[in-house]
Amino acid sequence: MATESNKITLVSNDGAEVVVDRNVAERSMLIKNMMEDLGEAAMTQSVPIPNVNESVLKKVIEWCEHHKNDPPAAADDDSDSRKKTTDIEEWDQKFMQVDQEMLFEIILASNYLDIKPLLDVGCKTVANMIKGKSPEEIRKTFNITNDFTPEEEEQIRRENEWAEDR
Amino acid sequence: MTAATTPARQEPPSAWSDLPDEVLQHILFYVSPSALLFNVQCVSKRFSRLASEPLLWRHHCRVHFEYWDSKHRIKQKFMGNVGDVDWKTLYKHRKNVESETAAILDSTIEGQVNRIQKFKLIADFGYDAKDTLLKHCRTSETAEDVLARRYYANAVLDHVHRSKALAEWKKLLRGEPVSLERALGSFDLFVLHDQHGDLLEISEIFDDLASVLRAEHRDLDQQSTRIKALTVARFLRHRNLTGLSTELAYRDLQNTFIGIALQDQEHPSLPLISVAIFCVLAQRVGIDARCCGIPNHVHAMVFPRDDETLDGRPLASGDPQPDPMYLDPYRSDEEVPIHTLRRMLSEWGLQLSQHAEYLGDSSTANVILRTSRNILATVHDFRAHHGSAENTGHPTIRLHANPFADLDNAFYAALWANYIFGNPLRRSEGTTQSQFIPLILERFERLYPMDASLIEQHIVPSYNNPTNAQHWELREALRVVRAADQTPKQLRLRNTRASREGVKYKVGQVFRHRRYAYTAVITGWDIECGMDSEWISINHVDSLARGRHQSFYHALTSSVEDTSIRYVAEENIEIIEPEFPISLMSLAGRFFKRWDKEERVFVSNIRDEYPED
Repeated sequence: MATESNKITLVSNDGAEVVVDRNVAERSMLIKNMMEDLGEAAMTQSVPIPNVNESVLKKVIEWCEHHKNDPPAAADDDSDSRKKTTDIEEWDQKFMQVDQEMLFEIILASNYLDIKPLLDVGCKTVANMIKGKSPEEIRKTFNITNDFTPEEEEQIRRENEWAEDR
Repeated sequence: MTAATTPARQEPPSAWSDLPDEVLQHILFYVSPSALLFNVQCVSKRFSRLASEPLLWRHHCRVHFEYWDSKHRIKQKFMGNVGDVDWKTLYKHRKNVESETAAILDSTIEGQVNRIQKFKLIADFGYDAKDTLLKHCRTSETAEDVLARRYYANAVLDHVHRSKALAEWKKLLRGEPVSLERALGSFDLFVLHDQHGDLLEISEIFDDLASVLRAEHRDLDQQSTRIKALTVARFLRHRNLTGLSTELAYRDLQNTFIGIALQDQEHPSLPLISVAIFCVLAQRVGIDARCCGIPNHVHAMVFPRDDETLDGRPLASGDPQPDPMYLDPYRSDEEVPIHTLRRMLSEWGLQLSQHAEYLGDSSTANVILRTSRNILATVHDFRAHHGSAENTGHPTIRLHANPFADLDNAFYAALWANYIFGNPLRRSEGTTQSQFIPLILERFERLYPMDASLIEQHIVPSYNNPTNAQHWELREALRVVRAADQTPKQLRLRNTRASREGVKYKVGQVFRHRRYAYTAVITGWDIECGMDSEWISINHVDSLARGRHQSFYHALTSSVEDTSIRYVAEENIEIIEPEFPISLMSLAGRFFKRWDKEERVFVSNIRDEYPED
C-alpha cells in the first residue's frame, strides 16, 4: 500500500516497536542519514534506536509529529554570531512540562538522534530553570555536589567582585 | 548497521551532572553572562570549567558588543583560534568599561563641575565605550533626564569620534598606510553622532559594493584594465552613487562627506567624493586608481598593470611608458581623453610645461586638504546666503543632526584638517598652519571644551618654545577653559528683593524675541546687564526703554544662523508656551533634563547655579 510504504518502524531499547511516518522520523538527522544510507532496505526492516526507551521515544515522536511541517533550519546557521533567546513557543512549553527525569531523557535522546530544534527547546528549558538561582539553589535543583574547598570558593567569588551590584 | 550492534546504555543517568559536557555546554549558551559568572561557575568544579569555556565567552563578546577599540585587533581575534584569546577576561573588561562609562556619564549629567576630566576618563576607553554611549544616546523618551542624557552621551561620543579622526589623520601625516575611505571618512566622524557610517562601516559598504559588482560581472578579472575601470564607473553611475542631481546643490554641505554620499538615498557627492568612491571601489577589484588633482574639478586616473598597456597588450622592452586613463565619475561613465584635459588646463592659462603637475596623481593628504577647503567654502556660502534676499534654498545642510550644530562641527573638522595638513613641508613655527590655531581655540572655548586633551596632544607639542607667542596663547586658552570647568558654579539665589521681584522669568521658560522674532529658552539671568561698556554701547542697550538697569537673560537658540547663547533684555522677552519647541530639543540637553508637557517649560539641569529656578 502506498501509505504503508511511507512508514517505518523504530524499535526502542526496551524492545517496543513504534510505527511512524517517514517524514516525521526524519526530523532526526540520525534517522534521515540512516535512511539515505540504507535506501529501500530501510522500508522493509525495523530500525533499532538503542539509546532510547519506549516512553521517551514516543514523547520525542510526539514532538516530531507536531513539528513535521516546520521549515528546515537555515543551512548557514552561524549560531555563534546571534544572540540566543530563551523564548519557547507555547506548545513546546507545555510539551516540556514533564518531570526532571523525562526532561533529561528528552535532551539526551534529541542529542543522540540529532534533532537540533528539540535539543534547543530542552536546553532552553533547563537554562530557564537556572535563571535567577544562587549557586546553592542550582545545586539543590539539579542535585549537584559542591566539590570546591572553601578557599577555592572564596577565590571564585573574589574574581567576580568587579561587577558586584552594578 | 552500527546502531544495532551498539550496546544499550546500562543505567539511566541519575543526576544532571551525568549529562555529557557537550549538552551542558549547549545549555550554558542560553544562560546569561552574569548568571554564568556569579552563579553557575560557583556550583562545582565541573560547572566552573564549563562556564569558562572560551567558545562560550567568544560568543558573548560577539553578540553583546558591536564596537571595539582598535587596540584589541578584534577582527583578527574573532577569526583566529578560539583558544588563543582569554575571551572571558575580555568580556569582563568590556563589562567594566560599560559600568564605568555609565557611572561617569551619570555624574557628568548630575553636576556642572569637572566635566572635562570626566569626558577624558570615558574617552580613554576609546571605542570600547561606544556601545554604552550609543545606548544612552537612544535613551527612552520617558526618562526623567532624557534630553540631558542624550545630549551628554552624544557630546562624549562626538569627542571619542574626533579623537579617532585626528588619530587617523596623524597616522597619514606620519606616512603610515591609511586608506582613502578612512582618511575621508574621518570628516564624517565629526558629524556622525549616533548614526551609522563609522570608518569600519564605510569600508564594509565598499566591500559589499565590490561583491555585488563581482557578482554582476563574473568575467571582470579577465577584462583589460580599461574595460574594468569603465565597468566600475558604469556600475556606480547606474546606482546613482556618484554625482549630483542638480548643480544648484553643488555647495550643499552633505556633498563633502563620503559616508553620507554612500548612505543617503540621493547619494549626493562633489567631484572629489565621487572620484574617491570610484577609486576605492576600483582598488577593491584590483585596479590601480588614484585621485588626480586637476584644479576645480578632481578627476580619477587609472594606471595600467606592470608591463602591459591599459588594453592588456604586453609591453616590449623599449616601449614607452603606457599612458594612464582619466575619468570623471561625477559627470559621466565615459573615459575623458587627455587632450580634453589639456585644453581645459590651457584655457585656464596654464603653460604646457605645468600640465604634468596637474595631470599627475594627488596624495591622500592633498585630497583631505581639498575636502576641508570645500567645507570651508560651503560654510562661507551658507553664512553669506542664509537669510539673504536671493534665496535658492541652497546650500543646504542635511547631515545627521541639528543643522546649525553640524555646520559648526563640519567647520571644526575643516579647521583641524587644515591645521594638520596645511603645510606640506615640515612644519615650523610661523608657517600658515598656525593661522588656524586661533580659529580652533575660539571654537574649543565656546563649543568643545572637552577637546582640551586633543589640543594638548596634537597642537601643544609643536609650540613648546616659550619664546613663541603661540605657546602662551595656547597655554592660556587651556588654562582658562580648565579653570572655568573646575571652579564650582557661583550660586544664583533669589534671596534679595531685586532677584525675587526684579527678575521676572525663570530658567527653562521659552520665549520669542520681541524684536528679532527668534525662539529661545532662558538658561540664566542677571539682575541687570552684566556686559562691559563696549558691549553695552555696540548693542545700544541704553536706548532700550528700560536701559541697562533691568534684568538680562542668557538664552539658547537654534533658529538663527548659529547655535549661540544670546543675552537678552527682559523687555524684549515675550514668554510663549509652545506644545513642543522642536527646534530647541536637540540642544536643550546641555542645560535641561526634559521638556515638561504640562507646564510647557524645560526642566532645569543647572541647579548648581540656579537652585531655585
